[in-house]
Amino acid sequence: MINGKDLRPRDMGNMSEQLIELTVADLKPLPAPFDKPEMEPGVKPGKPDWNEKFNSELDGFIAIDTFERPKTKEEEDELVQKFLHGVEKMLSCDTNGGIMQVLNLTMEYCAKCNTCSNACHIFEASNRNELYRPTYRAEVLRMIVKKYFDKNGKLIPGGKNDVIVKFVGGDIDLNWKTVARLGELSYRCNLCRRCAQTCPLALDNGLIAREIRKIFSQELGYAPKPLHEKGTQLQLKTGSSTGMSKVPFLDTVEFLDEDATDLFGEGTTEYKTPMDVEGADILLLHNAGEFNAWPENPMAFTMLFQEAGLSWTLSSDICGYDNVNYGLWYDDAQCKKVAIKQNEVAKKLGVKRIVIAECGHAHKAAAIMADRYYPGSDRVPVQSFLPLMRDLVKAGTYKIDPNRNDFPVVLHDPCNYVRQMGIVKPQRDILKMIMKPGHYGNMGLPYYEMKDHGVNNYCCGGGSGFAIMNSMSFPAWRDNVAHRKKLEQILEAFGPELMENTDVPKYICAPCSNCKGAMRSIIEHYQLDRFNVHYGGLVELIVNAMTKYSTPFMEFLRDE
Amino acid sequence: MILTLFCWVALICFIAFSVKKAMYFAKLPQHGRQDLYPIPLETEEKFKYGGSYMEDDKWYEKERHHNLKGEILDMMVEMLFIKKLFVNQNSLWWLSYSLHLGMYAAIAWSVLVLVGAFVPVGAFATVVNFLTILAGIVAGVLMTVGAIGLLCKRLFVKEFKAYTTPQEYFNLCALLATSAMGLVNWLGDMQFEFGRNIARAMFTFKPLADFYDGSVPIQLTVFILLLGFISIYIPLTKMSHYVGKYFTFHKVIWDNEPNMPGSKIEANILAAAQKPKNPDAKKWSSPWENGPVEEEMPVQK
Repeated sequence: MINGKDLRPRDMGNMSEQLIELTVADLKPLPAPFDKPEMEPGVKPGKPDWNEKFNSELDGFIAIDTFERPKTKEEEDELVQKFLHGVEKMLSCDTNGGIMQVLNLTMEYCAKCNTCSNACHIFEASNRNELYRPTYRAEVLRMIVKKYFDKNGKLIPGGKNDVIVKFVGGDIDLNWKTVARLGELSYRCNLCRRCAQTCPLALDNGLIAREIRKIFSQELGYAPKPLHEKGTQLQLKTGSSTGMSKVPFLDTVEFLDEDATDLFGEGTTEYKTPMDVEGADILLLHNAGEFNAWPENPMAFTMLFQEAGLSWTLSSDICGYDNVNYGLWYDDAQCKKVAIKQNEVAKKLGVKRIVIAECGHAHKAAAIMADRYYPGSDRVPVQSFLPLMRDLVKAGTYKIDPNRNDFPVVLHDPCNYVRQMGIVKPQRDILKMIMKPGHYGNMGLPYYEMKDHGVNNYCCGGGSGFAIMNSMSFPAWRDNVAHRKKLEQILEAFGPELMENTDVPKYICAPCSNCKGAMRSIIEHYQLDRFNVHYGGLVELIVNAMTKYSTPFMEFLRDE
Repeated sequence: MILTLFCWVALICFIAFSVKKAMYFAKLPQHGRQDLYPIPLETEEKFKYGGSYMEDDKWYEKERHHNLKGEILDMMVEMLFIKKLFVNQNSLWWLSYSLHLGMYAAIAWSVLVLVGAFVPVGAFATVVNFLTILAGIVAGVLMTVGAIGLLCKRLFVKEFKAYTTPQEYFNLCALLATSAMGLVNWLGDMQFEFGRNIARAMFTFKPLADFYDGSVPIQLTVFILLLGFISIYIPLTKMSHYVGKYFTFHKVIWDNEPNMPGSKIEANILAAAQKPKNPDAKKWSSPWENGPVEEEMPVQK
């Protein structure tokens, strides 16, 4: 093993069993009340039989749970060759034209000034371990390209081994360990693009991580099970990445409507989610995970949309009731398949627009990634729920009493629709209208902003699929490293005094399904429930402030 | 005459290679959107906090505002002051900006010696000569300081050293040698007459030696060879980021133009769909030109 501080890109092919080792003592210390060693649960090591069968060669953790170690020299060589063919396709306009301009610029111009490193929450959390530096994995790929490809991106069998290639920085050993570790390392980045935002040349080393994931999925056929087999494939087969098919989905919605009516109908209102209504104005696309994990979220949407008298519907068609698109994180082809199906569902229903509910990556997949998949004339317009909700609340559609939201709320900004779509203000406008002023909050606001917020936010640590990747030892890495910065931000926003006041319930507002998944992991791993910390979305807070309901919408308020 | 011709070859190569590089990037296929906010094309108010047109309900029915002034202003600030580095890594900015500002001064010096070479004696010539001296000193000193500083950083700071290639050391050394040689020449010619002589030789197509009693000083010959070399060499390397930066900003992170019916984006997509397809494209990149993706994915293991 190599000390993480001494690691260099050419060490990627080092023949040791594991490149680096990570312990809690190596990580960046957390603020109070986690500034005492016993407060942290620690890093659970992987089981020895996992390490024998799978690839824990990088840092001891396993993200790609479908990748098994090659058993023979032939298998090792085959892996390297297939990888190189994947790189060749990555470098070709014929096969990767949709990203070539961006990729070529990033491959060519990185000055390795390390500005991106200072912006990366994972690098920071690891206490500046070289393995997690955004330029590290990108530089390994650049070195491989310099050594094995000509200037037109064509593979040179055996690679170049002359003075020139060493001069330009292509001095790297490519063996199966280099490939396997590079694949694994592509899942040590949340693809939050904070690094790209700070780059003086506007280059995107995060993009390189995604391109490596693409090579593994699109060429080698390896992707984490929760993303592909139990994600995209399940969604395309059953209709949802949760595996929930049409009938259970309809039953769930019916059950939630009954629940909403019983709890909040006050004997006068029956809540009914419109289903498969042709010609409606809005097709609302939820993350289907909400129905199982956070049913109060789709319930709140139904109550708000019905109270506003909107023309809207859900769909029970394949991909019509699940806005997720995990291809966004690892595979262009899968991303396109799902996006096309979602658009087809909307066209079939004849709706005027698709409104994406509280799911960040679904926002980006449907509104940004899919935007140039097919001609604009074939596209049903896609928009976020946020401006719609902001306008409804602002117009006085709901009778709001901000005093009902008299507890500290910290706002988390999902990267996908904040930094990558510029939807920053509507959620803040809503909070200003629904939170009790003058009690809790910072910066003169009735809620807490994190130190770096808005487009400068930090990822929750669950981005790019991490929130749902719970195989083998990966959660140990995610909880300790990827989530660390977000935990620090939450602790700093509330402050030690408020954190340790367990009488006051504290709410992390994370209007995104994956971010909520990350918050759930943070709360569980660091046992934040002992500090009376809760989490949820934004629409729940709106409903909670509505005077129409005598019962608080938030369960933790009801318990009181 | 060889030196005069070399100067022309270097100048033409610099322009031709830079244009070629720009054409290469410009001709690459339309890519998927990579918006990254704040985007200065948005309204001034939205740009301040990083907002976009997608903050509006039914954004697709509303008129798009392109804040061209904001875009130009932000690009100028980035080009002239390297704002992103100043904000995000201030410690490196001082060295990097020293080198870059030195280069800008060197470009200004080149223009000034050209003007000074042909302007008749008078008040204007005096002003030009004064500015030439100022630009020349600033260029030589700042480039030298910046190149030495960056070289030291890459030689002695571990996290820079680990990622620096031999070529990157060479690049800095080449810049340092050129600026240092410029200063050496200046020490023997405080008015930068050698610069004006180069310009005169180039634009009158005369041997440079004609301006030096038949023999060009050795230190000036070395300077011209170094300057010519880096002029030819820069566009071939990552130092040509003055070309790339236009694309990374304007065509990548600031390109948030939606694909609306009848738009140029849609026209590009339709045109790309007509191009012949590579069979491998189906399981690779996503744009429409590859056609709808069929069930041809490799089986997940």
